[in-house]
This record gives sequence, structure tokens and C-alpha cells, in this order.
Amino acid sequence: MLATLSLEIDSKLSNTTLMAMAVRGVCAMTTLSPVETNRLELCLVEIVNNAIEHAYENQAGNSVHVQLELDDAVIRLIVSDYGKSIPQDSLQKDAESELNPEQSDTWLCSGRGLHIVNKLMDAVSYQRIGEKNSFIMEKRLR
Amino acid sequence: MSFDQRQEGEFTVIEIVEARLDASIAESFKTFAFNLIDNDQHHLVVNLSQVRFMDSSGLGALVAAFKKLAGNGSFSLAAAQPAVRDLFDLTSMDKLFTVHDSVAEAVKGN
Repeated sequence: MLATLSLEIDSKLSNTTLMAMAVRGVCAMTTLSPVETNRLELCLVEIVNNAIEHAYENQAGNSVHVQLELDDAVIRLIVSDYGKSIPQDSLQKDAESELNPEQSDTWLCSGRGLHIVNKLMDAVSYQRIGEKNSFIMEKRLR
Repeated sequence: MSFDQRQEGEFTVIEIVEARLDASIAESFKTFAFNLIDNDQHHLVVNLSQVRFMDSSGLGALVAAFKKLAGNGSFSLAAAQPAVRDLFDLTSMDKLFTVHDSVAEAVKGN
């Protein structure tokens, strides 16, 4: 049976914790391990941050919506905004450039969020329908 | 105040008094650490014992402080909780940062 939870926050980074705590609560009802729950929280926060910082350029007063769908086999998170879309080249699932402790130009201070999400989730997709951008990610349940 | 500092011999220990080092406070952390470095505090230990969650922005702020030192001093982390250690591992940051089990171990020196 599919259960759906709908959450909405104003586009302020300080509101991201609310989303994270709500999703952790749902994860506690599933077979996800503590490590998997932490990782799902991380992926959610990365994508919500991305909506606030890039789609809305850190302007408060806009809506970020998260729909959580849960069934016996999968937990699906759909993060939606009505701002600027993620550029196609940022969505490419290229391997992350390797960190070399000897070369400081490989010590990146930003741009890791999508790589982390691509690495940790079982399926990731992105769509724009009308003015609405949606980042969809799935984690299989054991 | 999200951050505090104390001196342990030559080491300046930055206490993160927050459960989350995330995008909402990453810039404040960077400013705090940069101010210490600009004030000639070049041996930094970041106490992560209270940090249950870190995102890539929090991680980026740690990297920025490490880069700012530019090899002129030392930068290490202490008492990282499991989710934070997992993030370091996922992003290969464990290659860049020295992560001590405790602040006491970090300030013993290298």
C-alpha cells in the first residue's frame, strides 16, 4: 500500500531541519538501517538546499515542497520548487574529480551535493513540468 | 552563539555548539575560522562531538578553513559522530583531514 506525506517549507536554509526531522521520523517506520537513514537525510538536505540556494538564489518567501511516498519496496522523495532549473550539465552523473591531498586545487569547497546524492540513492531523476521543477530520488527497502 | 573557542597549549580548539553543521551556518563557521587564522591562530582543532549531522556545505566550510591555512600550521578534527565520519568517507575527505577520536588526542600534537 502506498502512503504519501506532503511537506512544505518557506525557502530559508534554517527550515531544512524541519524537513529532515519529518523524513527521519518516517524512516524509523521502515527497514532502513541507521546508516541508511542518515544517508537519506543527507540526500534530502542536499536537494532542498539546492532548491533554496540555486532555484531561489537564497530568497525567502518561496515554496519548497517535499512529497514522500512509501510502499513495501521503496521510499521515494520528490523535492519541488518553482525557481530556476538545475542546468543540464550539472545533472550529468560524471565521476567526481578525485581528491589528491597533495594538490590543493582538488580540495573543492562546493559542488559535492549532487555527486553525493547520485552515489547514495538507487534512482535519481529530474523534470520540469510547466514552472515546477522536481527532483525525484528513490531508495529501495530490503 | 554557534561556535566557541578555547586554547589548549599551542592549539586553538573550535567548539561547534550545534547538532548540525549545515548550509544554514556554514558561512558563519567559515568566517569564525578565517578570523582565527587572520589573528595568527594557526593550529586549529575542530571539536565535532556535538555535531550529529553535516551536509556538503558544512564540509565545504571545513575545507575552506583548511585551505586558508595553506600548510602554514595544522588543522585537525576531533570526535566525529558516525554520520559525519560516513560523510568524510563518502567524499574521500578522510584522505585530507586528520580525524582524532577526541580533542585530548588531537592536542597531544602530531
